[in-house]
Amino acid sequence: MADIVIDRVRKSYGALTVLKDFSIEVADGEFVVLVGPSGCGKSTMLKILAGLEEASAGTIRIGGRDVTDLAPGDRDIAMVFQNHALYPHLTVASNMGFGLKMRGTPAAEINRRVQDAARILDVEHLLGRRPRQLSGGQRQRVALGRAIVREPQAFLMDEPLSNLDAKLRVHMRAEIGALHQRLGVTTIYVTHDQIEAMTMANRIVIMRDGEIQQIADPETMFERPANLFVAGFIGSPGMNFLTAEACNGQVQLFGQPVPVTAAAAGPVTIGLRPEHLEAGRGAVTFEARPVLVESLGSEKYLYFEAPEANRPPRRLARGDEDHRGDRLIARLMNAGPVAVGHPMTLSFDPSRLHVFDPASGRAIR
Amino acid sequence: MRTRPLPRLFLYASVILTCAILLFPIYWLVVTALSQPDQLRQLPPKFWPDQPRWSVFGAILAERPILLWLGNSALAAIGAVSISMVVSVLAGYSLSRFRVRGGQSLGLFILTAKMLPATLLVIPLFGIFRTTGLIGSMWSIILAHATLIIPFTTWMLKGYFDTIPRELEQAAMVDGCSPLGALVRVILPVSAPGLAATALYGFVLSWSDYAYARTFLTNAQGNWTANLGITTMKGEYISNWADISAAAILVALPILGIYLFLERYLVGGLTAGSEK
Ligand SMILES: Nc1ncnc2c1ncn2[C@@H]1O[C@H](COP(=O)(O)OP(=O)(O)OP(=O)(O)O)[C@@H](O)[C@H]1O
Ligand SMILES: [Mg+2]
Repeated sequence: MADIVIDRVRKSYGALTVLKDFSIEVADGEFVVLVGPSGCGKSTMLKILAGLEEASAGTIRIGGRDVTDLAPGDRDIAMVFQNHALYPHLTVASNMGFGLKMRGTPAAEINRRVQDAARILDVEHLLGRRPRQLSGGQRQRVALGRAIVREPQAFLMDEPLSNLDAKLRVHMRAEIGALHQRLGVTTIYVTHDQIEAMTMANRIVIMRDGEIQQIADPETMFERPANLFVAGFIGSPGMNFLTAEACNGQVQLFGQPVPVTAAAAGPVTIGLRPEHLEAGRGAVTFEARPVLVESLGSEKYLYFEAPEANRPPRRLARGDEDHRGDRLIARLMNAGPVAVGHPMTLSFDPSRLHVFDPASGRAIR
Repeated sequence: MRTRPLPRLFLYASVILTCAILLFPIYWLVVTALSQPDQLRQLPPKFWPDQPRWSVFGAILAERPILLWLGNSALAAIGAVSISMVVSVLAGYSLSRFRVRGGQSLGLFILTAKMLPATLLVIPLFGIFRTTGLIGSMWSIILAHATLIIPFTTWMLKGYFDTIPRELEQAAMVDGCSPLGALVRVILPVSAPGLAATALYGFVLSWSDYAYARTFLTNAQGNWTANLGITTMKGEYISNWADISAAAILVALPILGIYLFLERYLVGGLTAGSEK
């Protein structure tokens, strides 16, 4: 087990720069999740950590040792791949023991450690099979087993769950979490799924176009996003955005003055999370006419039009499954019956508002 | 899925017709070998001889050093295929995995080499082998066949390696293999079906060669390959087509045997299960 220090790592393919000055210090035993949209450089960073790609600049230290120029096998890390990458010609047991065998571990010791890992992951009955005789979830478990028998300094995982169906994914998510609790091995985990990031991470690194947007624990990421991109990326459904003019610590929202931070002045983008809107009267109250209601049982998603004056000027970056267009969403718990087209009273607490500079995207506090 | 009867009938008819066209010469070869020499030209032709002359095989084996020729053919093919496989595994793997400057044009260059007819290369090769003193030796034919085989096998193997996910060797490298170790311990075992098919193809190329053997080995009777030997049976005084056909069958049998032996590797989808 070890800490990992990534210091100003850069990566270019010819003229294309896919990683820009990536730096982070990961503490011993920490579970850090790299998250961001497709193509933002997550896998590239992980491969550089593993030694499978060479960094164009920067250094990497694992457990105090500079590994920047070491071969993957000499870095004492284990990697779990999206397509699990089990060796198809070897049995499950040989797959798990392969890394130890390469390091010249005695057969008895390999056997003991494979048995131990198999017991932890509940794959003991599969040890004699080949990968093609396993289900998707079993394969991914064996891939995890291959990583843990090595007892490496760190685990690197590149979207290990994205080939599994939704239910199994939730299950394996919990299992990886439990495994991390049990073994306490420093883990760097890549995903494009913000829910995976929020549920598993000690700290999240949000990336976009090869650049770190914010590094924070899940709570902070949700409560205090550093910029518009992070605000739109984290949360489901994503944050509502409104435009307004700030003056003397006030903005006009839904036709009424609302207090915001005094640091804001001039045009601003206001962010308000769907879960911070409530049915009924509150600190700031307004009337809305739902154009669509999605009921998920205990909670309802209410879609309504933003007032003309507050319409966001451009499409703002949001999560994948967001198709609300210019409409706003309220996520209401136990709201009672809601009729489409009938005006209803909504409210929010102005201290929940996020204020962003529309030009730079940065949060204003 | 259900197919309507008419297209289905058409499908079977064309399969049968194709097989008939492909298999008829082989069938006729057998008929010719087993007929009395004087029955061959009779009209109407007989589709199976009255008294199949099974003794023809024993007779030609006693008469000609066919086993020696077959041995030479095997030696040439095994030698050429061994060299070719070593070269084309490394070359095909490099072409598949590494982005080398000019790698693409290099690959195309190899491809053009395989478009040249073998006869075009006979004369320069003859010159080279004469200066190196290899004319008449088995090495001439082994090396010449390797030049014939390598372009094909390199491209076949490149195509096969392209289908194997890179994550496999990346996993092997994280597990402590060197790049060459990952190739030997993971990629090659996983490629067994591709390697078998490629080797068989190279073997057939070498086995069926006549032009090179004719050019490089003519004056060294002890090194004749089967194909070269058989053609000398023709027309010394009169051509005995029954004997020649019987010899041709003996030459074809080893290929058939190898094919049957390798079949399980050829069809085995060993990579199934390496991806999702
Ligand atoms: N070998 C390469 N040559 C050129 N460009 C590359 C190469 N490998 C990756 N890239 C580019 O680098 C960028 C980052 O790729 P990377 O695989 O790290 O993305 P990612 O964040 O893992 O995305 P995903 O979520 O889709 O896996 C992409 O724009 C990709 O096109
Ligand atoms: Mg990726």
